[in-house]
Amino acid sequence: MKNRLRVLRAERDWSQADLAEVLRVSRQTVNAIENERYDPSLPLAFSIARVFALRIEDVFTPDAEPPPPSRQPRSPR
Amino acid sequence: MATDPPVRPLADSGALWFVVSAVGSVGGGWLAQQAVTHPPTPGGWMKLLAALALILLAGFAAWKLARAGVYSWLLPLAALSLVLLRPGRAGDAATWRLEWGVMGLAWTLVAVLVFARLLRRSDELERRLHLEGAFFGLVFGLVGSVVYALFETRLPELRGQWVAVALLLSWWVGTLATARRYRWRA
Repeated sequence: MKNRLRVLRAERDWSQADLAEVLRVSRQTVNAIENERYDPSLPLAFSIARVFALRIEDVFTPDAEPPPPSRQPRSPR
Repeated sequence: MATDPPVRPLADSGALWFVVSAVGSVGGGWLAQQAVTHPPTPGGWMKLLAALALILLAGFAAWKLARAGVYSWLLPLAALSLVLLRPGRAGDAATWRLEWGVMGLAWTLVAVLVFARLLRRSDELERRLHLEGAFFGLVFGLVGSVVYALFETRLPELRGQWVAVALLLSWWVGTLATARRYRWRA
């Protein structure tokens, strides 16, 4: 999952430690999320979005869009 | 943007205090064993005081590990305490045997309880690191048990104490390997 954490932090001039303190997690956790080595849980992702006053999809985006369905659903007989 | 110091892997930040604690507990235990002899020797009290000082130093180093948040190092400390747990060295005297056993068990229990308490206060990634580490330890234990069963006629008798030590150490190694995967890049 991609995220804009580094950019959002830079806009506010926050360090990883500052963000970690607000989120009540370790700085290593913020670092791992920022470097896209760890995908946060849904509650933590919501907390991050709330801290930046954004929607969750404005902070996190999936790696790739899901492929379109290959088959049309069957019509009932 | 505000700058952050580079993130170091767990292995770099707790090694010093681990070594101090390990040397303190091993040295303190050895000195205490030398001091408590029958009949008592003139220098026995000095040895006993030195042993107490070393054990206190070991406790202080363990406390520093916990304070620094690198409490995964408490796992090998607990393993070391289990290695030191040799009630048989007290000879046939039942009371001494009990005391030596209680001392080793107390160290191990304190380390494990402190570790569990700190784990409850950790965040979701830290818990994941330890969960994956514990899983690694369990797999290692299972595979090791099967391999031992295959060669048990040629291998020395398996002691429960050594199984516990191997599980604790493999848990710790698994945690360090997982931490490296998530945190290596600063």
